[in-house]
Amino acid sequence: MSQKTEHTFVALLEKHQNIVHKICRLYTNDQAAHNDLFQEITIQLWKAYPKFRGDAKFSTWMYRVALNTAITLYRKSKRKIKTQEFENVAFKIKAEEYDDTTEKQLSVMYAAIKELNDIDKALVFLYLEDKNYSEISDTLGISEVNARVKMNRIKKKLRSILNP
Amino acid sequence: MDELELLKKDWKKQEKNLPHIEAQEIYPILLKKSSSIVKWIFFISLGELALGVFLNVFLADSEYWKTVEDIHLKNGFIVFYIVSYAITLFFIYKFYKRYKAISTTDSAYLLMKNILKTRKIVKYYIFYVLASSAITAFVTFIFTLLYSSDFDNIREDMNWPKAIGFGLLVIIIFVVVLWLIYSLLYGILLKKLHRNYKELKRLEL
Repeated sequence: MSQKTEHTFVALLEKHQNIVHKICRLYTNDQAAHNDLFQEITIQLWKAYPKFRGDAKFSTWMYRVALNTAITLYRKSKRKIKTQEFENVAFKIKAEEYDDTTEKQLSVMYAAIKELNDIDKALVFLYLEDKNYSEISDTLGISEVNARVKMNRIKKKLRSILNP
Repeated sequence: MDELELLKKDWKKQEKNLPHIEAQEIYPILLKKSSSIVKWIFFISLGELALGVFLNVFLADSEYWKTVEDIHLKNGFIVFYIVSYAITLFFIYKFYKRYKAISTTDSAYLLMKNILKTRKIVKYYIFYVLASSAITAFVTFIFTLLYSSDFDNIREDMNWPKAIGFGLLVIIIFVVVLWLIYSLLYGILLKKLHRNYKELKRLEL
């Protein structure tokens, strides 16, 4: 691929990298694995870039490739680097912005989301990213109705965790 | 308020806590090699296809053909080898086509489906190799009993049903054990993929 293409790709990835970081945080538990997955997603995005048609939004296309890498292609690295576990620290919000109860609720919910299976995590992720059900069903290859049903079940599950 | 709506509000805020990688740090990543499951599958599958070809080509040396000739199987085996090469080529072609169809820009479901289909081609190939090896081993065993000079002295008094039954049993046990080990390894390699695929299949279009 030409240098110009490479520069354009890197600029786009730099701009939209938050999407990749959020996926990495959802699917990994430590910094080493986060970096590993970030690297694999970047490689897969770069490999798939020739297929990217300008008519679609780069970020939309990115969601698909990045999630596919996290759910399907990524093989956990065998490296055992002792790093601090993210747990909920990764998602910790500034305490002063919420009262104690809200903060606690959020913390419990983030922990619960980390415990979901790969597919449910992807659903919640796309939902939190404000994607509509048509986009969610397109990205995952499931029906819109099933995406809604599944999302409602996850909501119910989270509710029951918060209010046992 | 809906719990997830609360989370959605917070989700945006946590963006400022995310790491930031500079463009200069992205360039070297583009040069790195992928270690994805597809790459693993590709190399393992190539190894398996090569193993079949290796067994056909390198184990069949002149001594082997001499033995085969002695037990009157040379012509039969020539036909078998020609058919076997054609079948192997067909599997390689199918594998290549399926492998090319794997695309990360497809939906998650389609991507998983294509990976599993690609892998299945190689699984069928291994099944074919084991089955054809079992059949040739059995035919060789029978013809050895019938024509090999090693059995000239005992051929008259041989209990044929017992000998054939014993040969068949050994070959079947051998092949079944190899198939079970193979399926187990295959299952371990694709455990996560199978689990996620099953989950998506339930929610399929």
